[in-house]
Amino acid sequence: MPIVELHNIRKVYGSKIAVEGLTLTIEPGTMFGLLGPNGSGKTTSIRMMIGMTVPDSGSVSLFGRPFVRTALHRVGYLPEERGLYKKMKVLDQLIFLGQLHGLDETLARSRSLAWCERLEISETIAKKTEELSKGMQQKIQFIASLLHEPDLIIMDEPFSGLDPVNATLLQDTLVDLRKQGKAILFSTHRMDQVEKLCDSIALISRGKLLLSGTMREVKSQYPRNHVQMVFEGSDAFLQHPGIESAKNYAGHADILLRDEPAGQHVLAAAVASGVNITRFEVIEPTLEEIFIENVRASFGDAESGGKVDA
Amino acid sequence: MHNVWLIAKREYMERIRAKSFLIMTILIPLLMGGILGGAALINGRSGSLKHIAVVTDNPQFATDFGTELSDKNQSKVGVDVYPSSKPGILTTLEEQLKAKDSTLDGYLVVVPPAASGARETFQWQPRSKADVIGRSRVADAVGATLTREKLIHSGMGAKEVEALLQPVHLDSPGKKDASAAAFGSAYGMFFLMYFVILFYGMNVARSIIEEKTSRVFEVLLATIRPEEMLAGKVIGVGAVGLTQVGIWIAVALGVIQLKLVGSDIHIFPSLSQTIFFLVFFLLGYLLYSSVAAALGAITNSEQELQQMNIFLMLPLIACSVVIFTIVTNPETMLAKAFSFFPFCTPLIMYTRIVVGKPTPFAIGFSIVELVVTIAIVLWIASRIYRVGILMYGKKPNLPEILRWLKYS
Repeated sequence: MPIVELHNIRKVYGSKIAVEGLTLTIEPGTMFGLLGPNGSGKTTSIRMMIGMTVPDSGSVSLFGRPFVRTALHRVGYLPEERGLYKKMKVLDQLIFLGQLHGLDETLARSRSLAWCERLEISETIAKKTEELSKGMQQKIQFIASLLHEPDLIIMDEPFSGLDPVNATLLQDTLVDLRKQGKAILFSTHRMDQVEKLCDSIALISRGKLLLSGTMREVKSQYPRNHVQMVFEGSDAFLQHPGIESAKNYAGHADILLRDEPAGQHVLAAAVASGVNITRFEVIEPTLEEIFIENVRASFGDAESGGKVDA
Repeated sequence: MHNVWLIAKREYMERIRAKSFLIMTILIPLLMGGILGGAALINGRSGSLKHIAVVTDNPQFATDFGTELSDKNQSKVGVDVYPSSKPGILTTLEEQLKAKDSTLDGYLVVVPPAASGARETFQWQPRSKADVIGRSRVADAVGATLTREKLIHSGMGAKEVEALLQPVHLDSPGKKDASAAAFGSAYGMFFLMYFVILFYGMNVARSIIEEKTSRVFEVLLATIRPEEMLAGKVIGVGAVGLTQVGIWIAVALGVIQLKLVGSDIHIFPSLSQTIFFLVFFLLGYLLYSSVAAALGAITNSEQELQQMNIFLMLPLIACSVVIFTIVTNPETMLAKAFSFFPFCTPLIMYTRIVVGKPTPFAIGFSIVELVVTIAIVLWIASRIYRVGILMYGKKPNLPEILRWLKYS
């Protein structure tokens, strides 16, 4: 049973199409990366998923059933624009948010304390939010979205503004939750995190789905046609017909092949030409490259420059 | 309902615990007391004549005038009498009036009539030209003295004159207490309502704007509905105002009880009026708080909110204009119309209940009407709120709002 199913949803604000024809499925126990440039409709899609806005057409199902508000007790949400009550003490705040998610006070309190311990912010619980650093506030919001042990965790840019130590702490926490069978959806611009963490991704741009599937599926669509090479000797072999384009930085060459099999031919030609090869590696395309390529294409090359934000 | 309760409880507890609540609760009565006390002190000083001089050749007039003035004043007024023949008397008095250490508050010069049969003329020189109360007291005392002298002169006995000049009391047996109390409670309702809304009405709006700027709402709206949130805020913030006013009233009543043991103050002649007072006050407060919530939903900053303040006060000002005629004529068309206009119902219908005789149906209808209006105002406010915050400043059009309304 999929945790989230969006089917062909569409949302229009006035003349601006925020989301169009978006279909995606999130399975339990997976970490799902929702990618896209700024203003591509990620936040609108998330809001439609949890009933904060209503799609103009299409259907939203949570936990295998059409959307109902009671399902929200099983969802944890960390919005992109974060906010806490500035004057309220941390523990009171966590208990309040836990109660809103249907916990009773005792349970909300004990879980808050346990989570603060786990995320190493126990010393803050008696302080007011306004006395805390931005990173600490973010950890508190992170906790607030997990207190009620949701089966679906939605996090909009969960690691932005965190130092590497804390980012790793939260990443590890999310990985643990995935092991427990929770579905996790997060949106981010950091492709290295997506590559490391996500099982599946969806890439949207200008409100439309460009790519989706498991990480393997997505990557297998892109040819392994990029070679990095270190050599000594003449670079005449770079004129080989199997090479689309090449840049030679004094013995470090970046080579783009016409197709995958061409790699072997180029290597053979290089060996035959007598150059001394110390390294020859066929590189898998990075998610970042895939991202930029797709988003550029969606905007049309002319206007891509300033708008793509990877 | 559980969510409304949670929101209201948080709002209430956070505000009650804040230091500013304690400070305001103590400081405002102190300031008010200080201002009132200061004003009373100043009035007490300037308002009473303690020592005056009379320049006349008729010593009998001077004595009678002194008695008359002392009676009216209910305190002894020192009257110095000087014959007009005394050389340079006016200059001396003028100097005394100007001297800082003199206690003289003013002097009266009686100028004998030019022709026989005409009346004397009087000149009054006060220390303070602004003391109009003192001036009218002197004029009254002179008038009364002249009347008394003329009556005695034309042969009436002193006792008869005394009896004739007694002030007249109008007795209306039985009714007097109730009607005075009714007026008291109608005006009491008016001023309490006006004061509380002036003081606390905008707090609801402010707390909604605060939520918008801190962006907490996005987390909250992931679990609760905007109308639950607004209702919670109206109740929670509203309860804070009631608590503060409640503390003040309790303390004030306590002080009055201590000071005036035995003298019974009855603002509420009957239990039913007390109940109506509470019902209409609470409903009125809720209604105006809901309007404030709507204003908070429309605006994005305190400055914008300030300009909207007038919408909250306008119906109250309208009530204040008509309430004085309605108190005397509670069954006119005007009174009926105003008592069914929801924003005036709490004040005007209550006034009619106290001084007039609206039918039970009319009273019931007005209460239902109030409750429905509150629900409608909150409902509209919550729609504006949700559309407004999620659209980042874009104004929603009508079909969009209608679609929001359809959704659960």
